[in-house]
Amino acid sequence: MALFKFDKDDIFINTLIAYPETSFYIVSGNVYLDNMPHLGQTNSDVPDGYLSLYELNNDKPVGQKIYPELFKDWQRQNFKYYTEASLNAKYSYGDTITGSYDLSASITVDQFSTNASRRKINSLRNSLDHYSIHSKHLAYNSSLGDKSTQELTLVSIPSIFYGERIKKGSVKLDYYVSGTLIGTLEDKNYNGELVQTAPVGSVGSGSIAGCVLYKEGAVVLTGSWSLGGGIVSYGGGVSPYSPYYLKWTTFGQGLVEGHSVDPDHLSSGSYNLSFQSVTHTNTLMMMAHAKYGECNYSNNPTYKDYSHSSNGVALTSSVSFIESSVPPKNITHTELTDVTPPLERETYISKIALYDKDKNLIGYAKVATPVRKTEDRQYTFKLKLDL
Amino acid sequence: MAESGAFKTLNDKDVVSTRTLLHEAIPITGTIVSGTYGDNNIKNPSHGMFQSVYDYPYLSSSANHIFDITVGIGTQSGLTITSQADKKKNIYNQMAQLLVGYDHTGSIQRFDEDGNIVGGGKKLDDVFIIPFSRLLVKDEIKKGTFQLELGIDDAYDNGGAIFNSRILISDQSGSNGYFVNSPVGEYGVLYATASTHTAALALDQSYAVGLLYYQAGIAVISGSVFNDAAIGGILNNALNSTDLIGQGAVGFSSVSASTTQTIASGIRNRIYNVQFNNTTELNSTIYFCRANHQEFNYSTNPTYTNASKIRVKTNSTDEPVSYITTIGLYNDKNELMATAKLSEPLKKTPSTEFTIRCRLDY
Repeated sequence: MALFKFDKDDIFINTLIAYPETSFYIVSGNVYLDNMPHLGQTNSDVPDGYLSLYELNNDKPVGQKIYPELFKDWQRQNFKYYTEASLNAKYSYGDTITGSYDLSASITVDQFSTNASRRKINSLRNSLDHYSIHSKHLAYNSSLGDKSTQELTLVSIPSIFYGERIKKGSVKLDYYVSGTLIGTLEDKNYNGELVQTAPVGSVGSGSIAGCVLYKEGAVVLTGSWSLGGGIVSYGGGVSPYSPYYLKWTTFGQGLVEGHSVDPDHLSSGSYNLSFQSVTHTNTLMMMAHAKYGECNYSNNPTYKDYSHSSNGVALTSSVSFIESSVPPKNITHTELTDVTPPLERETYISKIALYDKDKNLIGYAKVATPVRKTEDRQYTFKLKLDL
Repeated sequence: MAESGAFKTLNDKDVVSTRTLLHEAIPITGTIVSGTYGDNNIKNPSHGMFQSVYDYPYLSSSANHIFDITVGIGTQSGLTITSQADKKKNIYNQMAQLLVGYDHTGSIQRFDEDGNIVGGGKKLDDVFIIPFSRLLVKDEIKKGTFQLELGIDDAYDNGGAIFNSRILISDQSGSNGYFVNSPVGEYGVLYATASTHTAALALDQSYAVGLLYYQAGIAVISGSVFNDAAIGGILNNALNSTDLIGQGAVGFSSVSASTTQTIASGIRNRIYNVQFNNTTELNSTIYFCRANHQEFNYSTNPTYTNASKIRVKTNSTDEPVSYITTIGLYNDKNELMATAKLSEPLKKTPSTEFTIRCRLDY
């Protein structure tokens, strides 16, 4: 095995920027994530349309789930879902604290009627004002509207779906009734404004119906004009279901927090929210060279020809013991059957190992099939590591 | 620890390093292994040397690999192997050299029934091996928690009737009777006891039937668990040997003429339940940050003063007040390494003292 040092031209650090796309389709109170059909899993703690954080208990009923546990001791290690107070109330010292891996996430929709209290919107005040330099439509309170009192809808996207941030210009909301598109919102100005872009000539087309906060994963919809269909009878108009207007502030009906959902009484409205997120993956690329005349020797025991006559022969004297060297096995290819070709040192490279400066093995890369290395061939292997 | 620009040095008594063991309970019911998903969660690699089991149909991105099943037949086995003989021997040798190691002559040592390799005793040459996924094992299997329940009816059936008679294989001496003479860490002896009725075994006792390597997460189990006493197994002769693959009640000897994956399917269909707890080691350092009565009562925050006067100190007799929101941890060159935030600011005056406990997990 030979050790070589990478020089500065052999190592490259690149950043791979990817824009994975995510979509949520809301219909009849259900969410379809990335248009995947519901698989009917029995694990009700991770509902359909939700993303499982750990993905350890897929389709597992109660009693067959993997769960974490630890002893309560003076170190006071704890699972995040217990506060110090709730932990102390539930467990004594020496008890086994048990947790759960049924953590999941999906979008949520909150609707606020005029003058209704709205803590979630209030908590976004600083962010909204911060981004208002891009557009007044994002301001918490401006001449274009007061988000503390006006009718609006908040669609919250958990960060597990977008990671770093949502890509500017990629957000799209579609509003359908009975399968017909009645409105589309896009952030076509790349500044957080959601502009109604389709259908062409539709009511409100070209107007700004809300805004999106890219880093916070929040979509605030304020467009309260009718999208042309009048009133849709949500729940047949029977209490507690009330009719609703086709407007952007009713986006996500059936999924609205605090509203009762009766699949038998839902209207034919359906909604799609799609966006791209931005991910940065750092990659380390290393060029490992096997040059002419190098890497042609192996420490593998099969490399040597132990059937050679010099094997086991030693020169001994009263002061020394010198073993004869055993030559490499001659595996040189030849078409001739009665002539032994001259020995050419060759190896098969199957693995490239990476060592740190103290020669500790820190990783290795395998080639799909061993590469034949003769003295008159040279190779460069490109190793890529995602960080 | 900094006081708005000033630093307070942590002494030896302020820093404590601890270790916590986090466990996970891993239940794997037999219906997951065979039944619930048909064979959609079973992958048979084309080389035929083992069978992989997933917890969900393996074409789904949600599926997790949970364990493999393979068989190993040692060179000194009494069985005549006619199918995949070399592969079964190679599997045995590979596992044995990894888990048991070599003797002083450089020969691969065989699996020992009681773990006492030097003392000789019975060797395990006909075994099936279950390497569990690192996802489930984490750092190691918690000693004394492993249980594998196998159906041992002599009839061949994949429909559940083969679970009328069962044996329980567990590392019952794991917590204090484990061995350390393996190249891959600690291991314990697996014992089989009757699970459904005492007449299931030849004698109403515990039989040493395998080895469990805790850190490696590999169970090596003797094929004798499927054999009756008449052919050298542990089962009651009255119950007969187990029919693993529909070739008659010949027990584990059906491995002779069947492929590894066929016998792996037979064993898999006999798994009634597997459960164990795993262990993950969490290392923590706790920094006790002590704010004495005369310390941390002032702030260099720009909002602390107004018109060159301290806002909270209108009269000279007023106590200075500050609110602790963040603790900064610095290295010996006063470079900020980490910050710890309080859930809510703590009011600090000369009449109060605090010890704030910062825990860093890694």
